[in-house]
Amino acid sequence: MKTTADVIIVGGGVVGNAAAYYLAKRGVEVLVLEADDSIGHGGSSRNGGGVRQSGRDVRELPYAMYGIKHLWPTLSEELGVDVEYHQGGNLRLALEESHIDILKGQAERATALGLDVKLIDGKEVHEINPYLSDAIIGATWCPTDGHANPMKTTLAFYKRARELGARFISGEKVVELRKFKGRIRSVVTESGTIYEGNTVILAAGYESREISKTVGIDIPMSLFYETCLVTEAQPPMFDIMLGVATAEIYGHQCDHGSFVFGSGTGLEPSKVPDSSDLRVPALDVSANCRCIMKYVPMLKDAKVVRSWGGWMDITHDHVPVISPVEEVPGLLLACGMSGHGFGTGPAVGLLLSQMVVGEKPICDITPLRYDRFKSDR
Amino acid sequence: MIISNDRLRDIGEFIPQPDDDILICRCEEITKGEIRRACHDGIFTMEEMRRYLRNGMGLCQGQTCSKLVKGIMARELKISPLDLEPATSRAPMRPIEMEIYARDGGNVG
Amino acid sequence: MNRYDVVIVGAGPAGLSAAIEAAKNGMKVVVFDENSKPGGQLFKQIHKFFGSKEHKAKIRGFKIGEELLKEAYDLGVEVVLNAIVLSLHGEKELTVKVNDEVRHVKGDAVIIATGASENMVTFRGWTLPGVIGAGAAQTMMNLNKVRPGNKILMLGSGNVGLVVSFQLMQAGCEVVGLVDAAPRIGGYGVHAAKVARTGVPFYLSHTIVEAEGTDHVTGVTIAQVDEKFQFIPETEKHFDVDTICLAVGLSPMSQLLKNAGCKIVEDPKRGGVVPEVDELGMTSIPGVFAAGDVSGIEEASSAMIEGRISGAAVSEYLGYITKEELEEKIKVNEAALDSLRQGMFAPKNRGKLVEKTDEGIDVSMNLLKKGFVADEEIERFPGVTHRVGIHPVMECTQNIPCNPCQEACKKGCISIGSNITSLPIVVENSSCINCGMCVASCSGQAIFLVDEDLGDGMATVTLPYEFIPLPKEGTKGKGLGRDGKPVCEAEVVSVKNMKAFDKTNLLTIKVPKEYAMKARFFKAV
Repeated sequence: MKTTADVIIVGGGVVGNAAAYYLAKRGVEVLVLEADDSIGHGGSSRNGGGVRQSGRDVRELPYAMYGIKHLWPTLSEELGVDVEYHQGGNLRLALEESHIDILKGQAERATALGLDVKLIDGKEVHEINPYLSDAIIGATWCPTDGHANPMKTTLAFYKRARELGARFISGEKVVELRKFKGRIRSVVTESGTIYEGNTVILAAGYESREISKTVGIDIPMSLFYETCLVTEAQPPMFDIMLGVATAEIYGHQCDHGSFVFGSGTGLEPSKVPDSSDLRVPALDVSANCRCIMKYVPMLKDAKVVRSWGGWMDITHDHVPVISPVEEVPGLLLACGMSGHGFGTGPAVGLLLSQMVVGEKPICDITPLRYDRFKSDR
Repeated sequence: MIISNDRLRDIGEFIPQPDDDILICRCEEITKGEIRRACHDGIFTMEEMRRYLRNGMGLCQGQTCSKLVKGIMARELKISPLDLEPATSRAPMRPIEMEIYARDGGNVG
Repeated sequence: MNRYDVVIVGAGPAGLSAAIEAAKNGMKVVVFDENSKPGGQLFKQIHKFFGSKEHKAKIRGFKIGEELLKEAYDLGVEVVLNAIVLSLHGEKELTVKVNDEVRHVKGDAVIIATGASENMVTFRGWTLPGVIGAGAAQTMMNLNKVRPGNKILMLGSGNVGLVVSFQLMQAGCEVVGLVDAAPRIGGYGVHAAKVARTGVPFYLSHTIVEAEGTDHVTGVTIAQVDEKFQFIPETEKHFDVDTICLAVGLSPMSQLLKNAGCKIVEDPKRGGVVPEVDELGMTSIPGVFAAGDVSGIEEASSAMIEGRISGAAVSEYLGYITKEELEEKIKVNEAALDSLRQGMFAPKNRGKLVEKTDEGIDVSMNLLKKGFVADEEIERFPGVTHRVGIHPVMECTQNIPCNPCQEACKKGCISIGSNITSLPIVVENSSCINCGMCVASCSGQAIFLVDEDLGDGMATVTLPYEFIPLPKEGTKGKGLGRDGKPVCEAEVVSVKNMKAFDKTNLLTIKVPKEYAMKARFFKAV
């Protein structure tokens, strides 16, 4: 088996697969190494499917907006798989005044960057979405936001990239990077295989931290726990992405009719299990159901069919690291997605491919550099 | 365990079969042909298959169809069914109304 | 706090047996079951069980269920019904839906005895209403008193397919045929024989091509298959049926263990995806045990023993009995389990063609292919002898772990010996008193009392009869051969039913004496 490629991508999640696709499309020889047996087993399979701009940090907004404007609308067609993208807008809901304050700040910062997002009152919320609780007193409304199916999107990028000749190897856990004459060169896996490339893209979620340490780079990243649940199919109600000011839950109704909600309750397991363990703590699903019903009480009779959870990588400032590494020429980082990497996955993949081939990137990524972190104490 | 690590492994062309329209996953109405075709899209594991097609994600959570899907995938991928890791199972074991789930009696009663 | 020494999931044969054993050792036990009735599959089993006295042989399954349940209640076991276990967590915490809320329960040990679910096969039309699992058919008939259909085709000749076919007929359904893709019948020959003698045809090396109908089953087409299970053209046979029953095996319901993070293996010999367990049934999570079908498909009798072993194992695990006491209990139970796992149908023989009995007798090939022992084959088995006057004829031709007949005869006419799988023999110089206990005690309905020559050119055959309507004395009809075809005129001369027969009626028919060893069933005309 060939173990060399122009670009080696570590991590077969949505970012790695999107990068593989955009690179393969540009004629670059690419090899993706995924630690799990299944493609898309990390954060790409444990998120609520939001394709949002609203609520994002200003540093992320430029590429989040680019993706929604230029990539998502044609993605299904381009990849040949229905990724279930719907641009139905995003409501970020408030139940009390303190929530409105949070939303106000977010809306103001986003509007300054040209995003169409506005604060609306309870009456307007119910005009947009009559299925929500009467207790909702307001929301931000971003009509250009939406949602898609994260698992299908991730696999669709994989499928198309594979068709274009990208090589994927699953069950191949990367443990070490090595330089050769001052540049990145080798990627060593647990099985002892050494892969070689001119460029290495590190998009392995939290595991990126341990891997990058082997070439002397430490990215301040920790883990947080998120769970998801899905209901049985409901009659079609709305295709609006829902979020809440307190960020406790987020979710939407899928094409299939089921509702998917994600959340974090703080009831996470006491130790970090291995990444294949997607179990949910004993109190979690109940807590999530209570929270969901506060906002969408009519879902009370919807049956929960499954729940899953997992650890996600989060940076010190909750903003991703998308960055070349001058100290290790040829190494590109795309990690620390901080729980909101799915919606921007295509744009980040595109950015990475542009960095590799030297195209002018779709936006300035300097604010996302790996060496931006400073102690605030 | 998994011998299909190299996703460019040649599994041949997709050849239509007369029974491709037979339902395999009743809950989500996934046909044999869809499963076979997905293998040719590079879907090599049970876990990927259900993320790609939703098979086994319905009310019975794959209790009925997972053996069937496994057999179809193994034939298509030209491997033994034993080389296909079964998909994981998720709580709850039976579908439960949100309202009931929310009524968490805790450790009382 | 809802805490127990041991939490058991599943109130079937394994779960209840485990609960009994644990409670006997002084443990606080709760059993959860998602059904409204406890007993698991036992309560659907209206036939008499095989095995020895220790395995509760010749007792009907649902009676065994009732006995287990009573014993559990008497020992203070808490059995919670309509309780759906939603998840099992690392700290041995379970979330359980009881009534309209979710409860959290913790056990210092957990035994998962969730049983198995039915396999399906696919063919055109398999999703039509009217295609059902054989177990589902049993639930409908035996628990809910609903006939699953009127005209039924059974796919699968394992014990489930054979037993359920017989029960369908008992419920008044017509079974048009028993079909299996395998070249040989999978279940016990005696189960097949009691179906065959009523006239149900067996189609081995056949499988279903298509279920017909637009919104429900109206017919079925089967065809013969070659060694590679490919259809042979122009061998199609059509039947008008309204129901197709599938008895094509079971899969362990191991999801809860999988969800809990137990190491899981795929083991076709154990029926599919099963937990990795040690010799006591403990999974990879300390204190979490698996018992019964969930850790490998077997008969209910084995599940009960496995349950007892795991009940003893948790008792020792939590210090309620000593290691020595555990070892003693294991020894007893494993001996019982071993005896059940002997004979032609032992797990080690699965899928193999056994051509000779332990006694060195050629196995009846007709039995394996058509469901009945041919007239010319029957004489070679030791239970079939000729005598003047009334005597038992035991058409038990395979080595299966079962011996109630030996004890049933108080006059010592029948012997199996110490090896439970040996074929029964008629003891020389013993004298039969025509009590009928052997006929009623045979779970395989394979024992007949025959008087070969009444002196007037006639003979009598006493046979087990579990159908309604029960023919009355004097009813005239036909004597049916082992193949279910009418062979002679016959008249019912006696109908016996005693409490000790446990609802097996003994029908004595008078037939011409040349049919004494041929007529094995009665059909009123």
